[in-house]
Amino acid sequence: MSDLVLNQVVKEFGAVRILHGIDLAIRDGEFVVFVGPSGCGKSTLLRVIAGLERVSSGEIRLDSRLVNDVSAADRGLAMVFQSYALYPHMSVRQNLAFGLENSRMPKAEIDKRVAEAARMLLIEPLLHRKPRQLSGGQRQRVAIGRAIVRRPGIFLLDEPLSNLDAELRVVMRAELAALHNSLKATMIYVTHDQTEAMTLADRIVVLKDGRIEQVGTPLELYNQPANRFVAGFIGSPRMNFIEGEAAVAGAVSINGRTLPLPGLAAQTGASIVLGVRPHAVTLTAPEDAAIPLEVTLVEQLGAETVLHGRTVKGESFTVTAPGQGRFSIGERVGVTFAPEHVHVFDGEGRVISRS
Amino acid sequence: MALVTEERGQASSLSSLLALPFHWFMAALNAPMSFVQRRFGIGGMGVVFLAPNMLIFGVFVLIPVAINVAYSLTGGTAIFMDGRHFVGLDQYRSLLNCENYAIPSTCQEDAFWQSVHNTAFFVVVQVTVLVLAALGTALVLNREMRSRGFWRSVFFFPVLLSPVVVGLIWKWILQRDGLLNAILLDFGFERTLWLAERHWAMFWAIFVSVWAHLGFYTLILLAGLQAIPRDLYEAAMMDGTGRLRTFWRITLPLLWPNLLVVVILALIRAVQIFDEAFVLTGGGPGTSTMFITQYIYETGFAHVLRNLGLASAASILMGIVLVALTALQLAVSNRRAKKEGA
Repeated sequence: MSDLVLNQVVKEFGAVRILHGIDLAIRDGEFVVFVGPSGCGKSTLLRVIAGLERVSSGEIRLDSRLVNDVSAADRGLAMVFQSYALYPHMSVRQNLAFGLENSRMPKAEIDKRVAEAARMLLIEPLLHRKPRQLSGGQRQRVAIGRAIVRRPGIFLLDEPLSNLDAELRVVMRAELAALHNSLKATMIYVTHDQTEAMTLADRIVVLKDGRIEQVGTPLELYNQPANRFVAGFIGSPRMNFIEGEAAVAGAVSINGRTLPLPGLAAQTGASIVLGVRPHAVTLTAPEDAAIPLEVTLVEQLGAETVLHGRTVKGESFTVTAPGQGRFSIGERVGVTFAPEHVHVFDGEGRVISRS
Repeated sequence: MALVTEERGQASSLSSLLALPFHWFMAALNAPMSFVQRRFGIGGMGVVFLAPNMLIFGVFVLIPVAINVAYSLTGGTAIFMDGRHFVGLDQYRSLLNCENYAIPSTCQEDAFWQSVHNTAFFVVVQVTVLVLAALGTALVLNREMRSRGFWRSVFFFPVLLSPVVVGLIWKWILQRDGLLNAILLDFGFERTLWLAERHWAMFWAIFVSVWAHLGFYTLILLAGLQAIPRDLYEAAMMDGTGRLRTFWRITLPLLWPNLLVVVILALIRAVQIFDEAFVLTGGGPGTSTMFITQYIYETGFAHVLRNLGLASAASILMGIVLVALTALQLAVSNRRAKKEGA
């Protein structure tokens, strides 16, 4: 187990800057998830931590030790790759033992560690097989096993579930969480799937264009997003955004209607964006609604119904209604919401705090 | 938007115009093909489509092989069969009649056995050097380096040259008054008769052959190296694997199928060595660089008394060796395909 501190970490490929001065501290035993859209730099950040890429500037400290120039092997980390990266010509046992053999560990100790990992991951019957004889989920377990046997300070996991089908992904997600609980190891996990991030993380790091947008616990990010990007990225279905302008103190004007938002301190007439989560709105008659909608799509999920609609200004708006509602496309409905569930962002997407 | 639609319309009308001749051609084929299909049935169409190729294969491969076998069972100098007499396996007996196969001079056909010895030596040394050089070159060219495309071309260009051109270029460099001796003389060294001294002649025959074919095998190995996922090397790096161990434990085992194909193809080509070596050394000095193919050519065509029977028997024996090597290559390829399909 280890803690990790990144101080103004910059990574450039030629003239292209991928990471723009990342500052981050990860505590011993924490499960931290890097999340963000494709190209945000999350995998590059993980590779920089792993030592597979050199930092262009800045510091990486593992247990206070500067490791910028320390090789990947000597950092005491282990990585689980998106493609699993199992050695195809070696058996599962050889895959697990390979790294330990490199460090000239006694054979008895290697056998003991391989057996322990195999027992923990339920892959004992597979030890003699080659990777091509395994299913996706089994390969995933072997890849994790290869990391476990090394007893690393930090586990680095690069989108480890993205090659699995949806059902298996849910199973493996739960197993990873259980593994973290039993090992109490520091884990850094990269994903573009916000559901994985929400379900696994102690803390989530949201990245965009090589910069950290926000760091916090899953619920902090869900309840108090720092900006419109984080608000839209965390939560499924994503948050609705409605353009409007600040009216008199403590109220906003949207689509010609004035909505009270107590505590809002914005200059009258300033452009603002309201953010409301689909779960935080209530359906009502169009004439009584804060926002009237025309239904464009109905998704019946059994326990709840997801309505996709359009406002009079053509903005899309999603509502998650409990139960199995009967709606038809083109139907007019209205939505209303409590002021405390509304997030307000300025023209640049920064959150406007309310007292 | 209108402009885009118009451009698309023009493009589509141009392509339909270009397609017209094909439409006409296919329409013209329709009637005869319908007739053939009615005549042979749908099941017989496969044979109909294969027939032209089988005809060419028969005329240029099967019939010559049969004639070759027939010649090897006859004696005399006549070209046509009616002037030749049946001798059974006598030609093979005289080729294989040897007191000690390791000493060509004890054999009835000492030139044949000398060429077998030369070919065996050539095959072992040339294939070893060629495969190792191709592997080394592929490993270097697979690395991130400046002007990688240029260097890859440099190694591949000799493959594009005809073997006769290769032989002539190197003869011009290595002959008594050639480029190499001119350079050596300039630096104060003595002139060496590169092609007239038997060990040097064999050395240069091997060197030139390696130079000429290196690019082809490098390309196969390079393709194999590039098919190894980069993730595996990164995993090995995380596992603390040293460079040499990475090569032995990751690269080499994963490159093994390609390496095996390269070895077998190189073996087949080395056994067939003729053109560039013949142009370069003419088999000399004496018979020190005469290979089996040259022996067959000279026995059957170059000697005043053309011994077509003996040459045919020698070519049949060489053919058996090549068939065995080809079968090995096919077996390796099939095993590899099965493995990949698993």
